[in-house]
Amino acid sequence: MKTKKLSLVSSILIALAAILVGLSLFFPWWQMIFFAPQYPEGLNIIVYPNKLEGEIDIVNGLNHYIGMENFSEENFPELAYLSYLVIGLAVITLLTAILRKKSLLYGLIGLFIIGGSLGVWDLTRALRKFGTNLSPTAPIKIDPFVPPLLGHNTVANFVTESVLGYGAYFLIAAFILLLIPLWKDRKR
Amino acid sequence: MKKWVPIASGLLAGFVAATISFADFSNSTNNQVASNSTKSDAEKVYVPFGEKDDYYLFASGGHSGQMFIYGVPSMRHIRTVPVFSPDSATGYGFDEHSKKMLGDYTWGDLHHPAFSETNGDYDGKYMFATDVGNSRAAAMDLETFTVKDIINVPNTSGPHCAAFVTQNTEYMFLPTRFAVPIGSEYKPLDDYSDQYRGVMSAVTFDQNKDKLNIAYQVALPPWSYDLSDAGKKSSADWAVMTTYNTEEATTNLEINASQADRDFIVLFNWKELEKMVADGQYDEVTGQKMIFPEKHKGGIYLVPVAKSPHGVDVTPDGKHFIASGKLAPSMTVFSFEKAFAAIEKQDFAGERNGIPIINYDSIMEREVNPENALGPLHTQFDDKGMAYTTMFISSEIVKWDPKTGETLDRVPVQYSPGHSVAAEGDTVAPDGKWLIALNKIAKDSYLSVGPSHPESMQLIDISGKMKVIQSSPVNPEPHYAQIIKADKIKTIEVYPKDENNKLATYKQDQARIERNGNEVHVYGIAMRSKFIFDAKAKRPDVIEVNQGDKVFIHLTNTDFDEDITHGFAINSYNLNIEVQPGQTNTIEFTADKAGTFPLYCTNFCSALHQEMTGYFLVKPKK
Repeated sequence: MKTKKLSLVSSILIALAAILVGLSLFFPWWQMIFFAPQYPEGLNIIVYPNKLEGEIDIVNGLNHYIGMENFSEENFPELAYLSYLVIGLAVITLLTAILRKKSLLYGLIGLFIIGGSLGVWDLTRALRKFGTNLSPTAPIKIDPFVPPLLGHNTVANFVTESVLGYGAYFLIAAFILLLIPLWKDRKR
Repeated sequence: MKKWVPIASGLLAGFVAATISFADFSNSTNNQVASNSTKSDAEKVYVPFGEKDDYYLFASGGHSGQMFIYGVPSMRHIRTVPVFSPDSATGYGFDEHSKKMLGDYTWGDLHHPAFSETNGDYDGKYMFATDVGNSRAAAMDLETFTVKDIINVPNTSGPHCAAFVTQNTEYMFLPTRFAVPIGSEYKPLDDYSDQYRGVMSAVTFDQNKDKLNIAYQVALPPWSYDLSDAGKKSSADWAVMTTYNTEEATTNLEINASQADRDFIVLFNWKELEKMVADGQYDEVTGQKMIFPEKHKGGIYLVPVAKSPHGVDVTPDGKHFIASGKLAPSMTVFSFEKAFAAIEKQDFAGERNGIPIINYDSIMEREVNPENALGPLHTQFDDKGMAYTTMFISSEIVKWDPKTGETLDRVPVQYSPGHSVAAEGDTVAPDGKWLIALNKIAKDSYLSVGPSHPESMQLIDISGKMKVIQSSPVNPEPHYAQIIKADKIKTIEVYPKDENNKLATYKQDQARIERNGNEVHVYGIAMRSKFIFDAKAKRPDVIEVNQGDKVFIHLTNTDFDEDITHGFAINSYNLNIEVQPGQTNTIEFTADKAGTFPLYCTNFCSALHQEMTGYFLVKPKK
């Protein structure tokens, strides 16, 4: 039984992961930057777990020409509860660090994988929804498109660039921190 | 130690990835350009795309009533800001605020611009200007380059001898060019000397309320007041101005105002005048606190000077003032310190119109008379305190040392410079580098546009031997200009949302038309690329009223985006306004013509600008 208990170092790593998860609430998770000849400085849509920031109104104003729906916090119900899920995840992670049970850690890693996959799926779904659900009465007709989750895309005079935000990197770092104990407390 | 390696590497992985994604690795350092001394003249004035000029030039637009904004050293015209005249391009004089400011005047004669100052240096907040045509003064906000307030100055006619601000913008003084009776009442010209006055106004500007106000006036003798300057540093409480027509001629001034060998510089202590007003030493006339110098003694002195001087300019150290002779071919350097001593000792040579005359010899430092330099008008300074005086008649700029009177350099200009302006050249800390001659005559400098010619502004490199390196045509007519370091001006690009503004409409579903008797208020939105006047209507971009209705259109530009300005015009209704990004602007008019009138956005805004239209329908009276 004793061997199933995680080491102190592992416990600290998991606690750190909990802190990173908590910290990620205050940083953007994902960002899309729109560049055009008239907008060399770029327009931003910055996604936090609980809000949208950036030049949303301007982007919406321009997107209406191709018949895209408005980006708004109402259009993303996830923003209303995502931060509670993140807090929950941070608490579970912290509990894992305190209880130092290997089984809990396995469960937590599973939770991270499921949560992360759901997040990626959700974002992809949103991008598909916005890019393909274009109004038929739009003044400028373009073919439906799906902007990539990460990287460049070209639509009309705009080049978009999608990148992860600090918050996402904190979550990835937290996940890596959770994996280290697996190696560290491997069968000894 | 080893245990921490995985942690560190984990964190590192995250941050490296974040850095790669977020950090800006674009190369922002410009290639080092050749130093000014090794550049060709063309390189000195060439500002490539992506770079900006080092200085703003604010040139008065004379009888256009406008202010011209140029970049220095490129000498590119950037913007024309209407001040005293309506301007359909910006809707100035059409929207409610500017229409009220202009009143019934349809032109102005913008003479001398002056920046607001802090400690004798430009602070880049406001620009003041005066109207010689209709006796007004204006304040322009440099966050938006728009005029915030215009004041009509009573008892005075043509504040040519202005504007000059004191070193912390306590006052802007407006002495008059034309003497008129108090209240501009009818008085025979035979009674000129008794009944006419050359009133000077002390104007304050409330920066919180954007309001100009007349603090008090001084009923100076009925002479013409030409140019002026405020003291600096040790002379900060003082100001000087030149006079002509101390002969008090009432006709053919060309001859009759040029008879006396000496005219005067008026030297006054504005702190003392301020105190006199506080102590009640004034008469209340036409609703103004008026100081009559022959009755309310103190604070004002006369300095004899070679006849009919034009400019009088205070040196950057505040120790001297230099009068330019115009009709006498010399500049006269006076000492403030000696003037203060003479006043202390009452070293006077009698009085004129009840004002003490200071002994000329007691305070004159030197008369400077460069060989064959004729018609000295106005002096600017460089970073070493050297003086640059425009010679109207001999068409040149003369550089000389106020401390020795020695002529250092001369350069011909084309032709007949009135004023010149150096980079921050009338502050306590001029920059040197550039001087611009504001020439009255361009003659064959540019492609001909017929008999009426533009004026000319010539850029002179004063970093070494003076050399004219660029010439720029300019609309009539820069009388004086100011050059300010570009980084002192902090503009806004978009008007911030003002939730307290009851006339603003930011949400599309709140656009509405309200009727109150025969008054119709439209709370509308202009956005790329449509108007919304009534969100709930079948056609939200249509305004329908009855003939004779009073129509108020409060239009908000909800494009909070740089350089997305919308216009609003109704065909055949002779009106056009501008709504800058984020701005709410009101236009008020009576729908006196029945019929169908298309309305449209006049300021090209987007690919579908042409479609940004609607209708103004006026039902005829039964």
